[in-house]
Amino acid sequence: MKLLRGVYEGPQSYGILRVAASIRGVHTLLRTLPGEAYFRPLYGARERTGEMAPVTLSPLREGPDDSMAPAGNLDRDLSGVLRRHPRTEIVVLARSEASLLSGETIPIITLPEVEGTGRAPRLVTFPWEGPGMRETEAAEVALEDLIRARMHERPERSPYPTVNLFGPPIFGPGATAEYAEAERLLDMIGVEVNARVPLGANTADLGRLPRAWANLLLYREVGESATLYLQDECGMPRVTTPMIGAAGTGAALRAIGELCQLDPKSVQRTIWAELARTAKLPWYARLEPPETFQNRRVAIFGDFTYPLGLGYALAREVGLEIITCGTYLTHLERDFLFHAHTFTEGAFVEEDPDEVAARIEAAKPDLIIGTHLEEGVADSLDVPFLPLCPPVADAPFVGRPLMGYAGSSVLADALDGVLREKTIEPPGEAGMQWTDGALQEAAEVPLFLRGRARRLAEEHARQQGSREVTREIFLESRS
Amino acid sequence: MTILNESGIPDVLPPLHAVNGLAERLSDVLLVVVGTQAEAHLVQCLPAAPSPNLPSSQRNPRVIFAVIDPDDPPQQGLLASRIVESAAGLRGTELVLLVAGRTAESLGVDAAFEATLVARKLDLPAETVNPDAPHEVPGILSTDLEDFVLAALVKLCPKRKTSDLVETASPAKRGRLFGSLLGRGTEASDSKDSRPVVLLGGTLTPGAAQGLAAELLRAGVEVAGAVPGSGIGELPPIGEGTVVAVMDPNLTSAAAAAERRGATVVKTLMPIGVDGTARFVQDVAEEAGTRTSEVVRARSAWEDLGVLRNRIRGKRIFFTGDTGFEIPLARFLADAGAVVLEVGAPRLDRRFLAAELQALGPDVDVVVSPDYRGQTNRIDESRPDVVISSPGLHLPLVARGHLCRSPHDFLEAGLYGYGGARRILELLVRTMDRAETLDSLNL
Repeated sequence: MKLLRGVYEGPQSYGILRVAASIRGVHTLLRTLPGEAYFRPLYGARERTGEMAPVTLSPLREGPDDSMAPAGNLDRDLSGVLRRHPRTEIVVLARSEASLLSGETIPIITLPEVEGTGRAPRLVTFPWEGPGMRETEAAEVALEDLIRARMHERPERSPYPTVNLFGPPIFGPGATAEYAEAERLLDMIGVEVNARVPLGANTADLGRLPRAWANLLLYREVGESATLYLQDECGMPRVTTPMIGAAGTGAALRAIGELCQLDPKSVQRTIWAELARTAKLPWYARLEPPETFQNRRVAIFGDFTYPLGLGYALAREVGLEIITCGTYLTHLERDFLFHAHTFTEGAFVEEDPDEVAARIEAAKPDLIIGTHLEEGVADSLDVPFLPLCPPVADAPFVGRPLMGYAGSSVLADALDGVLREKTIEPPGEAGMQWTDGALQEAAEVPLFLRGRARRLAEEHARQQGSREVTREIFLESRS
Repeated sequence: MTILNESGIPDVLPPLHAVNGLAERLSDVLLVVVGTQAEAHLVQCLPAAPSPNLPSSQRNPRVIFAVIDPDDPPQQGLLASRIVESAAGLRGTELVLLVAGRTAESLGVDAAFEATLVARKLDLPAETVNPDAPHEVPGILSTDLEDFVLAALVKLCPKRKTSDLVETASPAKRGRLFGSLLGRGTEASDSKDSRPVVLLGGTLTPGAAQGLAAELLRAGVEVAGAVPGSGIGELPPIGEGTVVAVMDPNLTSAAAAAERRGATVVKTLMPIGVDGTARFVQDVAEEAGTRTSEVVRARSAWEDLGVLRNRIRGKRIFFTGDTGFEIPLARFLADAGAVVLEVGAPRLDRRFLAAELQALGPDVDVVVSPDYRGQTNRIDESRPDVVISSPGLHLPLVARGHLCRSPHDFLEAGLYGYGGARRILELLVRTMDRAETLDSLNL
């Protein structure tokens, strides 16, 4: 048991819903308590398209069967889904944590035919669901299961080079934009995109995945086991280099070019043309005087692809010092540490936001790149903050990619915005003394508020003309 | 009025979403949400006041999640000691509320026991709130957690007979909130048979209780305090002889808790809209031992609203149902001349809302436990002028070209009292004006 002030990941049902809602033609029936279902309002607030979330609730009820109550009869709810959504190809049955903990067993069900068409949609259930599983892991396995469910016959390989894009699911920051940028670049080197998975795919696309020559893994958190399955089952090679920064993007494009038997020279020409026109990160790194980046230390925290990709790009292409880099995905711990150690000494895995805040605070960074939960740390340390790693709180109308060459320019803009003004520390700052009493009081403050409290207390002491922070000054500054 | 039961799945925001809003409102309460990752994620994802927007990333230090690993449930007492540790860092905590629902229960957490331990170790009151607790009537409302929290606060109110306290307490000691108001009224209401009035509700509207207290004072009724009021230390005594005036239509559990303590809960209309406020003031005054008539005041309030009523008259309004405030709102809007097409009620306690249902106009249909897909079809068919929509339907309905407002917008604007009646109509008129301006654009 942990006492937390925030969580990075949702529960497993949320992960399944994110993947299922990304694919057209999939409808999810969520077995849940009546007061537990928040996906529908969240879908509206995050997507802002006005579409209804493709999810139906099957409320779980206890106690006497009151015929007037909306009782959660699973069979009735399933046929209701088919009646109301006749075009559904796959019905996913997901269970919330309360349903899993309640110990109710789900009987083996076969879906009836849709009236008038004689077609029966496929029902996909997830026997591996467990109440302790987390969002990302569940999303990854659910995507693999959905692809398995559609893998009936092997389609022929396409006559011209094509690839599948395995990117982030719905609600990812700028998720659609990431796919679009990858597709644009592949198009330029002469490779067509066979399917975008999961976001933007339909159920038929899932069955047609083996047509492609290779899989390009943009977001490995969700696509890993699906691409491994396709590799084992259909012998499809995959490219796993994160397409973040100009170097990463170039490496991924060259790898795809090789797998698709393209002329390496023509691929290289396209890359050079893009470097001249679209990719502004190398240009930014060259234009800025070296002093801008000298002794600037960056702390990065997030999922897997984004912190690693950003870490590589910032360390190698920009020349910033990555003082610490962390992830909240505990199930990817070994892989993450392996990759992160190539550019930082301070790699770590942690899922308690307070501990993350303490780690970042101890590293004394000049810039923090993280999820929306790190905003408080940046605020308390008074350093610039870029929310570039999921989960982020805002849902902009225009999604901006972080991947590919266009993404590298977005990154250059973001860095330019926060690094341009070199902060000069006021000389008196270091001389502020703290009495023991004040330090004891400060230790009582929750971790993620401590830096801010410290700063406010020192300001207060300066206003009072005191050279040290006493217990009284500290308490006054907090009242 | 007809009441239909659709037995569908209503679109209701999970009651747990209110944790953030309650933490803001009750600034001296530490809220500990006990459960799995799911509860913590839910509370974090949904905004404090349900709106089509996402919550800000700023977290409230008074909300803590106790995330239990289902494979390794904690030993008894461990939760309590952890809460004690983290409460130490927060100044000014007066109450610890453990929000523990069905999942905590099935993981074997005895929330009541842990709360007792916390209370003993911190020397502070600690209560448990079960957001999944069943009601007498099936169904949930998105404001259920407020109801349960207020019920917990009622339990914390001092137990002494209120009449003794009112006589002994000096005006200054009766709380900052009502001090200035009461100072003027004490002499007038010294009569022996008057009974102290406590207002219950108004959690979501800042300043609601003060406004109503002023309204009651004008009628010669002194208000002894309010729950939730301004702080845990300021909770008014509730017990035998206290008159509890319920302000919100969703407070069934809180009202029942007050009744169990021997207080008299006034059965009347909610103080929403002109007639509602008039009946409320009159009935509360009568229960408190003062006779007053609000007829003149109500008439002048209606006259003041004349211009606004002309704008509302004939407008067709549809309530999808979410917070439980829809019924009094619909009652007032129907009285003001609007055509109420349907009022969705995810839960309808007919006994508790008897007065409201009686006052509801003859042409209003109430649909109990409505199905959101059925509602969407009915809205598409009837094309109302305004839909007061639940958050899950808000965006889809806007996308279909309907004009939507959230019931929470009314709560935030303040819908209580005569002033509230004006604010309700102004909000609607503003909504329609803006839509008209935008519609006239040639895109």
